[in-house]
Amino acid sequence: MRELAKNSGLGLVYAVCSDKHLVQCKLAFPIDDKDHSHHRAGNCLPVKLFAFLFCIPIILTSCGIQFAELLSSGNCRKPSSVMQRESIKSVEDTISKPPYPGDFKLVTRGSGNNIEELWQSRGEVGRFGGTFHTAVFGAGPKTFNCWDSRDVESAGIGQLIYEPLVDIDPWTAKVYPRLARSIKIGSNGKEYTVVLRRGLKWSDGKPITADDVIFTYNTIIKKGFGNTSSRDVMLVKGEFPEITKLDDLTVRFKTKVPFAPLLTRLGFAIAPKHAMEKVTQEPVDRFHAFWDVNSDPRQIVASGPFKIDRYVPGQRVEFVRNPNYAMVDKKGRRLPYLDKFVYSIVPDQNTILLKFYANEIDFLDVRSIRGSDASLIKQRERTGNFKLYNLGPDDGCVFLILNMARRTDPKTGKFYVPHPYQDWFNNKYFRLAISHAVDRKRIVDNILRGVGFQLFTAESLAAVYLNKSLKPYPQDLQLAAQLLEEGRFKKKGERLYDAQGNPVEFTLNTNAGNTARDGVCVMVQNDLKKLGIKVNYQAVDFNILIDKTNNSLDWQSIVMGLSGDRLEPNDGANVWKSDGRLHMFDQRLPNAKGETIVTDARDWEKEIDRCFDDGATTLDVTKRHKFYDRFQQIVYDEQSYIYLYTMLLLTAMKDWVGNYLPTPLGIGSTPRGSLHNLEEIYLKSDRH
Amino acid sequence: MSIPVYILKRILQAIPLLFIISVMSFVMLAFSPIDPLASLKANPSISQTTIDAEKRRLGLDKPPVVQYFYWVTSVMRGELGVSTTGGSVTALLFQRAGNTALLGIFTLIFTWLIAIPAGIYAAINRNTWVDKTFGILTAIGMSMPTFLMALLMLMFALQTKSLPIGGITSPDFFAMGLLDQIKDVTMHLVIPTAVLTFVGLAAIQRQMRGNLLEVLRDEYVRTARAKGLPEQRVIYVHALRNAINPLITLLGFEFATLLSGAALTETVVAYPGLGRLTLEAVLTKDMNLVMASLMLGAVMLILGNLFADVLLKLVDPRIVLE
Repeated sequence: MRELAKNSGLGLVYAVCSDKHLVQCKLAFPIDDKDHSHHRAGNCLPVKLFAFLFCIPIILTSCGIQFAELLSSGNCRKPSSVMQRESIKSVEDTISKPPYPGDFKLVTRGSGNNIEELWQSRGEVGRFGGTFHTAVFGAGPKTFNCWDSRDVESAGIGQLIYEPLVDIDPWTAKVYPRLARSIKIGSNGKEYTVVLRRGLKWSDGKPITADDVIFTYNTIIKKGFGNTSSRDVMLVKGEFPEITKLDDLTVRFKTKVPFAPLLTRLGFAIAPKHAMEKVTQEPVDRFHAFWDVNSDPRQIVASGPFKIDRYVPGQRVEFVRNPNYAMVDKKGRRLPYLDKFVYSIVPDQNTILLKFYANEIDFLDVRSIRGSDASLIKQRERTGNFKLYNLGPDDGCVFLILNMARRTDPKTGKFYVPHPYQDWFNNKYFRLAISHAVDRKRIVDNILRGVGFQLFTAESLAAVYLNKSLKPYPQDLQLAAQLLEEGRFKKKGERLYDAQGNPVEFTLNTNAGNTARDGVCVMVQNDLKKLGIKVNYQAVDFNILIDKTNNSLDWQSIVMGLSGDRLEPNDGANVWKSDGRLHMFDQRLPNAKGETIVTDARDWEKEIDRCFDDGATTLDVTKRHKFYDRFQQIVYDEQSYIYLYTMLLLTAMKDWVGNYLPTPLGIGSTPRGSLHNLEEIYLKSDRH
Repeated sequence: MSIPVYILKRILQAIPLLFIISVMSFVMLAFSPIDPLASLKANPSISQTTIDAEKRRLGLDKPPVVQYFYWVTSVMRGELGVSTTGGSVTALLFQRAGNTALLGIFTLIFTWLIAIPAGIYAAINRNTWVDKTFGILTAIGMSMPTFLMALLMLMFALQTKSLPIGGITSPDFFAMGLLDQIKDVTMHLVIPTAVLTFVGLAAIQRQMRGNLLEVLRDEYVRTARAKGLPEQRVIYVHALRNAINPLITLLGFEFATLLSGAALTETVVAYPGLGRLTLEAVLTKDMNLVMASLMLGAVMLILGNLFADVLLKLVDPRIVLE
């Protein structure tokens, strides 16, 4: 209350409250309220006004702080931003591409029953010891049970403390063995045989065997413990692969038809059976409380380079090295180099930046740097002992969608989208015209301040399966007008009318509080105005927006963003298949039984469905490419999602950190982020 | 009415009050258009079955009345339920309550230590430059948004490299000796305490000054002066005693804010307090956590008021408790 009163400039609230309260208490002597307030008003208000005007500069000068810096971290545009953009442009040209360090080598040690097979790391030889500090924006992890994680941060912790069977090479995007020694694909892509390395140990010393793998897949994932999404993505035509143990170190995955995404699904963290078996014998609900944020994190058995040492709620998570981590450096010394890895939980992005400038943290990861901060960070690079890295486009995207639902709401019998909106939005020329009328370049230059890319395709620019033959196009209002004419719209004076003579006007929503999207919507509004389309822009709360797209379908057009997956196009199936859960431009809702039945799929929607089905069951990369290229071509032609832009990913690392080799493909969930080779990251010297 | 009876009466009165507060908070939360599962729904890699399972687990498939009934019965049993993130609400509140109380107590002490003497001094030396400087300073404190103030303080810390930026302990806190630990926490507390003190200063300083000025104009002060009492005695014994009453009520309110925290400041300086926890919970509609936090705030407010009223009675026997 104290704070609220002050923030609204209602400092007097207190005095008034307290006076009233005193009267209630039956004071034996009266207080003259009038005199009181007059006295205060007479003395305080002018002073207050004066102070309001002058307080900021006074304090600023006394602190000796450049005020511009503070302001420009917001969203205001300064005349000098053109110059700053130049410096960012040079960053754009230099996407971080460290040279490919070669494959991992297998080192075998010991003999007899004590044979140990270790991967040899690929980076330069570093120095042991020290603590690496970073920070993560947000409210902290939700759970340490990574099989139950539903948020990025919890999943990222899982990537730090667990090794998967296989991982994806940050340079080549090829799947390579991690806990596994080798993977053999047999019988026409329907059988995967995974052999584990010998001598692997959990952080508590127990061996890692095929039983752990079987437990992970056949118990945790198959039986639906934790986040059931991992089970759903394993299903091939509704069936879970058959996973059997061949011997102590060998596991076979068998599917009825070839299933390309399965190889990346082998990248799930392997769970320690000896530590988790008990909880899986209890009801599924109990799994949620297992290894949650309130449990003792030191009990968590790890296989990754680090294990959790301590969670200080709301402040930080501390990790220590896992002494049993099965990787060595080129001198044969056991990694990781770092003794500790600590990340602070910071709920404010300005504070993260300040912490970085003050050397309290060594690293700003992709989620910590906003596009609007980039130019200022770049300017500080020389004096701040750090380097800014450019990791290219993000795999998420921001798009404009029009509600193309043609069905009626079974509850009310009314159309979800009434005529004539339905007719406009289903008119291909209308969508194409909008796509050509939107000035994406200006969005990138002015709103993202150059720290982003125009987007025209369903696969993001970072994606391996991007269809490169789909060319970007500039804003072309003439072409847009022509397209509208072909779609039987007519412009009379300043307004556009459809064939029935209805003036074209619709509502555009986005989530409130996101200044960039806010700016995008205003730009779209202005661009479409030039075509004679009146757009009523309204920002609503994110949760309300999701309710609109997921339940009520009561919306006309929306600017929104979705995360993507740069490596596995099949992860977009939820969005693109006509019965998908996020098939937002024409969302089919599940019936009472929870089934989504599609009766009105358009021909091109059916073709996209086929592309995804075929793409998932084809192993050959070139053939897969063909299916996903076709799918992108359809979206490009139909503009069912009108893609607008994608962000540029930036990180910053202090100079005293060695072996930081970020690549655009090696980006995991924060806090692991772009530290794909965290085990070989080391501190060159003690900082400062 | 004797004091113990009065306290008992007030506590009994508080029960229906708390009930009404809980109903109102619950209704407002239940009807707020926030979907606690929104971030799951917008994530392409989360399946529908996961979302449905979450819905069942959080009881969101039940009507709000039933949800409220569940909540009340579990509170009656002394359980505050689990938060949407899985942890027990009691544990979450306990983790943060200590930090917030620490900050609150520090702020309270500093605010009052500075505000009361400053108010007295300003009243006695009314309209001098000292008074006016205080006037300007308190007005700045009143009008400046806390988040801006906090951010400026952080930038000051960065520029001078004198203070840690955000948090309450350093990463190597647990490796330190006790003395260093105390020093570390103190250093971390400087910025949030300074911000909240500066901001809270105004109300109390102005109130103290106003009250004292008023009392100094009273007849009995003139009488006291006329009968030749030393000025010190007139002010500090006769006048001050009577001027302090409204401030005791104010203290009751301050007590209430001890545990509800200062969400904005806590967010900017990354301070792990209750305010930040509650704010984050509201944004994700974490019903049990928000309800527990709101009820905690209500209880503290009721206790604070009771405490202030009783204290008032002790300080000023003329007050009749009813």
